Amino acid sequence: MLSEGGTLLPGSWSPGLKRADILTTSVLAQNLDISNPFRQAVAAYIRCAGIEIGYGFFAPKVAITRKLVFELTYPDGRVEYELPHVGSEATGLRLTLLFENISRIQYEPLRKTIFKMMAYSIWREHPEVERVRSVFGFVLFPGLADFEQGKQESYHILYAYDFRFRSPEPAEP
Amino acid sequence: MTPFLETLRKPAAAFLFPVESDSWTFILRFGLGAQVILYTLSLRADWNELFARTGWGLVNRELTEAVLDVQSRFAPRLGWVVLIGDHLGLDESTTLWTVWGCLLGAGCFLLIGFFCRASAVTAWSLHLCAVNSEELLSYGMDNFTTIGLFYLMLSPLPDRLSLDWQLRKQSLRHHEFLGFFRRILQFHLCAVYFFSGATKAVAAEWWNGTSVWRALVSPPFDRLPPELLVHWKFLLPLLGISVFFLEISYPIFIWPKRTRGIWLSCVIGMHLALMFTMGLFLFSLIMITLNIAAFGPELWTLSTSQRDRSTIQILPGKAS
Repeated sequence: MLSEGGTLLPGSWSPGLKRADILTTSVLAQNLDISNPFRQAVAAYIRCAGIEIGYGFFAPKVAITRKLVFELTYPDGRVEYELPHVGSEATGLRLTLLFENISRIQYEPLRKTIFKMMAYSIWREHPEVERVRSVFGFVLFPGLADFEQGKQESYHILYAYDFRFRSPEPAEP
Repeated sequence: MTPFLETLRKPAAAFLFPVESDSWTFILRFGLGAQVILYTLSLRADWNELFARTGWGLVNRELTEAVLDVQSRFAPRLGWVVLIGDHLGLDESTTLWTVWGCLLGAGCFLLIGFFCRASAVTAWSLHLCAVNSEELLSYGMDNFTTIGLFYLMLSPLPDRLSLDWQLRKQSLRHHEFLGFFRRILQFHLCAVYFFSGATKAVAAEWWNGTSVWRALVSPPFDRLPPELLVHWKFLLPLLGISVFFLEISYPIFIWPKRTRGIWLSCVIGMHLALMFTMGLFLFSLIMITLNIAAFGPELWTLSTSQRDRSTIQILPGKAS
């Protein structure tokens, strides 16, 4: 992240930081083929020790808040909105992190599959719904100066996917 | 070995393998026990939704584990436990709830120090499986719990205040590693805080208070009314700079005895502030536990003479 620039560090440091990046990548066997057993074993050890993540909490910048809204369209044209619901505040916090992780997924089919799963869980609670639209976006909070001038938060859409589910046919007697 | 290396060996060995009491393993065990209990209880309402293959809720476990497979086929996961349960004739839900119960039980046992080693291994392995199987929903707290349980599992156990010591008359073996594992934990925390502080310091937003503002007004961390923050806005840049200065300087000021108490108190204060202003209860709890275990025992209520006596009791061999 540091080697890519966009921080207060001088640009002349970039080559050195890139070399450091290459070195750590090599030490962690990340430059080997993904199916290489050595790379897989190193990855397993790192996971077992709990050290697979970096330590830049809320750094260098605080992440933007993501939001997922389900738009439920009924056969009579009625539209309702639902948010993903969880059973506890602790899972609610994880939900925010899930959205953050989803926003980092570059592989579109995987992102779509995750949204489909979540839409399916909503549809199971409303099986009469004709279409579930998953609308994923981010909430932009005003800066302190803008907030003082009365500016409110705004919601911006990133992706929207439509899903239609059908109840399984009852089995023949 | 050359004389130069020979002269280095002794101080290096004294530094890496210091004579230690087991106060730090007691703190680590007790704190992690509480952490595991609170972790399991906090996820009780959503346990099946989080881990079920059939996907009642958030993200299907199979999908997360498929992504995990790409990174490492050898990383433990709940899918393996479910497979074992399947061979024993248990359905997925029963297996998942058994895992939940075992994790809670391991946490309780750690808290009281009963079957310390087995409880630490059980808690580490099941917690790790759960974290790996919900990777898209896991965060720093989960990793630090894994780190803590990993150290605890490898450290010499039981400690004096455990039930194993009191009731089962189990005594400590391999006590020479008490100091070593604590030293590793200390280094690890220094690295954590240094890099956390360094990555903040390179962003202008942490110098002018913007990041503090954003962190405190963004859901789900928005526990303080923004109007209150506006009232105290002149403090935001100071808070931002204080946070990264405290973190960057942690590896420097946490070692000398004269500054250790101040830095430790400030870091614990920072985590308590995160706990109450942002609702990061479990994250703060694990960080406070790791900090007190790593650098707190000297500041513990035991006087130096009491501690020395305890050390001598634990280390019947050479305590020089």
